[in-house]
Amino acid sequence: MATRQLRALAGIALGSVALLTASCAPGELEGESSGEQEVQELAPEDFAGLTLQYLYFTDGPDEQATRDLIAEFEEQYDVTVELEVLPYADLVTSTLNRLSSGNPPDVVRLTSLTDFRDDLLVLDPYLGDDYRDEFLPGPVSGAINAEDQLVAVPSDLTMNGPFVNVDLFEEAGVDVPDEWTWGEMIDAAQEVQDATGVPYAFAMDKSGHRLSTVLSEYGTQLVDSGGNALDIDKAEAALRPLVDLMADDDMPRDFWLGSGTRYEGANEIFLAGETPIYLSGNWQVGQFAGEATFDWAAAPNPCAEECGGFPGGKYMASFADAENPALAAEFIRFMNDAEHQEEFVSVSGQLPTRTDLSANGVTYTDEAAQAAMDTFLADLAVTPESGFEANGNPAFSPSADALVEEVSAVVDGQKELRPALEDLSEQIDVLVEETSS
Amino acid sequence: MTAAATRTGGWGIRLAPYLFLLPNMVIFAVFTIYPALNGFNMSLYSSSNGRVFAWEGLGNYERILTSGEFWGVVRNTAVFATSYVVLGTVLAIVISVLINAQRRGRTLFRAVYFVPVLVSPVVVGLIWNWMLDRQNGLVNNALSTTGIPPVPWLVDGAWGMVSIVAVGMWMQVGFYMLILLAGLQSIDPTLYEAARMDGAGAWDQFRVITIPMLQPTIVVVVVLATIHGFQSFDFIWTLTGGGPVGATTLMVQYIYENGFQSPIRYGIATAGGVLLFLVVFTLTLANWLISRRREAV
Repeated sequence: MATRQLRALAGIALGSVALLTASCAPGELEGESSGEQEVQELAPEDFAGLTLQYLYFTDGPDEQATRDLIAEFEEQYDVTVELEVLPYADLVTSTLNRLSSGNPPDVVRLTSLTDFRDDLLVLDPYLGDDYRDEFLPGPVSGAINAEDQLVAVPSDLTMNGPFVNVDLFEEAGVDVPDEWTWGEMIDAAQEVQDATGVPYAFAMDKSGHRLSTVLSEYGTQLVDSGGNALDIDKAEAALRPLVDLMADDDMPRDFWLGSGTRYEGANEIFLAGETPIYLSGNWQVGQFAGEATFDWAAAPNPCAEECGGFPGGKYMASFADAENPALAAEFIRFMNDAEHQEEFVSVSGQLPTRTDLSANGVTYTDEAAQAAMDTFLADLAVTPESGFEANGNPAFSPSADALVEEVSAVVDGQKELRPALEDLSEQIDVLVEETSS
Repeated sequence: MTAAATRTGGWGIRLAPYLFLLPNMVIFAVFTIYPALNGFNMSLYSSSNGRVFAWEGLGNYERILTSGEFWGVVRNTAVFATSYVVLGTVLAIVISVLINAQRRGRTLFRAVYFVPVLVSPVVVGLIWNWMLDRQNGLVNNALSTTGIPPVPWLVDGAWGMVSIVAVGMWMQVGFYMLILLAGLQSIDPTLYEAARMDGAGAWDQFRVITIPMLQPTIVVVVVLATIHGFQSFDFIWTLTGGGPVGATTLMVQYIYENGFQSPIRYGIATAGGVLLFLVVFTLTLANWLISRRREAV
């Protein structure tokens, strides 16, 4: 009886699988096309009565700024904008699911275009071929597809850089200079640690993006337009001080090893006053302004072969299959004109992507944050273009994750630094090939 | 109406049970059977976005099975699942026997051991992440009072595995205990009475009466623990993140990272899911067949 049941079960399962695999692919087969998007030219009043969906994730204060701007847009264009705020962790999956089900949002806020590059709406016909010139070349380079078309608009910019605990520096009698090298920064950090007795000299987020700051300053990147860009000698010189700091636990070793492949921010370590220097980025400014119980400041990024930090940021994009592409493009234009982008970045504590705002500076609503943001803005001017190119490369994100794993293996004593970097280089080759195919 | 239909009470009567089952079967088919079959189908293609697919045949399986990373994950999963099933089942038997022997406070103990089952696995991971922290964790602070140096629970590969097994057991052992307790309470007390009259001690009673009579329940617990062991992910993700350096990365995390982290590889993720299904299905089937054979004997 049981054998008969098993046979029947196996037969049904095999039959179903055979039927399913023989009948259809699970989606569109490679080479099939969903067709070209017809461009509609509409006057502003033609948008009246339409509804636009905006898929969004928030870093905190930017949400209210966005809601205020949306209210302004709705009033001006007589349209409805449905703002859907998702947790950042769900953003990519949710957007992919909506694309799969044929219901893409009209506009989405993204940190990386990698997973959507083939699906994005080409914005040039709506915004004009010269529109991209209104933005800094670096951020724009990440928003251009292989056919040199604009498929997203960089809406705000982030810049990695160090924060210092001014109270600890003063207690130790160590000055924070206007410029410093990596060696000088680490020496200063250890001097402050020795003088004040804090557990660590230096902390940084567990992130390949943050490690790329150090690589960039030592003159190398993980990837560029040509593929694998890692110079192993330069990378070894860049990462050796950090590995040595973790070996001595002057940089929190357990923090680095204890979270596996998860991203971890070291902001709590800095806020607890356990380290004089913390490498992160300008998005921490709002939190520090509100929560730090000591005087703090953003310090300039240390220089090695290069100066400046490592960029990141967000893009606003639409999809070729979106219901209202013209309205989506108009909304993206509205949110990123000089007036509205300044309003957004000044409230949310981000850096501008527009050339004019970057040149003129932005007045931030929080006075305590102004000096820090000015420091980040100054670093933006000396950040190498190769950093923007790397950050916009589809292979960057997985390569950065691989970098974290290799550094973790070194910190854990499983590998020496150089062989780890050689392994990383091989992985980058594979990832470049995979993401470019 | 035909004679046959009259004899069996009519088609309506014969169809009724199936009609009552239909709503549940439809839901099961749509949300379980179809996704499972589609998952198998997807494992034969590669896709980075879930919409455009390229035929791979068995290429994804070949890629997985020739990857060193995958076999590392398999080794971790095997070590975790075996330790979790064996230790978890033994611990659950011990606890259930001890609680069953209590005359007072049985309900209280049962509740205390069951409470962790009710806590979200994500929260369990976060709580134990704090408790097992080497420098500031509660556990090492407690151990330090006895002179034991700090244990690297979450930052050393071997200790990391010990930690996830221990936390996994802490989280689920109350559930297994409850099932075993029900099995223990169904054993006829006259068997123990007769054994005592024949001079059998506590250990003999446990060995000759409790374990054999509890065997069907133990099989259920082993099957459930095997499934839980192979499917563990959420509490490990928040406890160790699969680290340090992949030492506690199990199969489901491997599937998750391929399916949901850039670069997205749906084909690899679903192929991993199919392999995991085959392993769990084979083990469950083997367990069932062995228990049937023993029952027949």
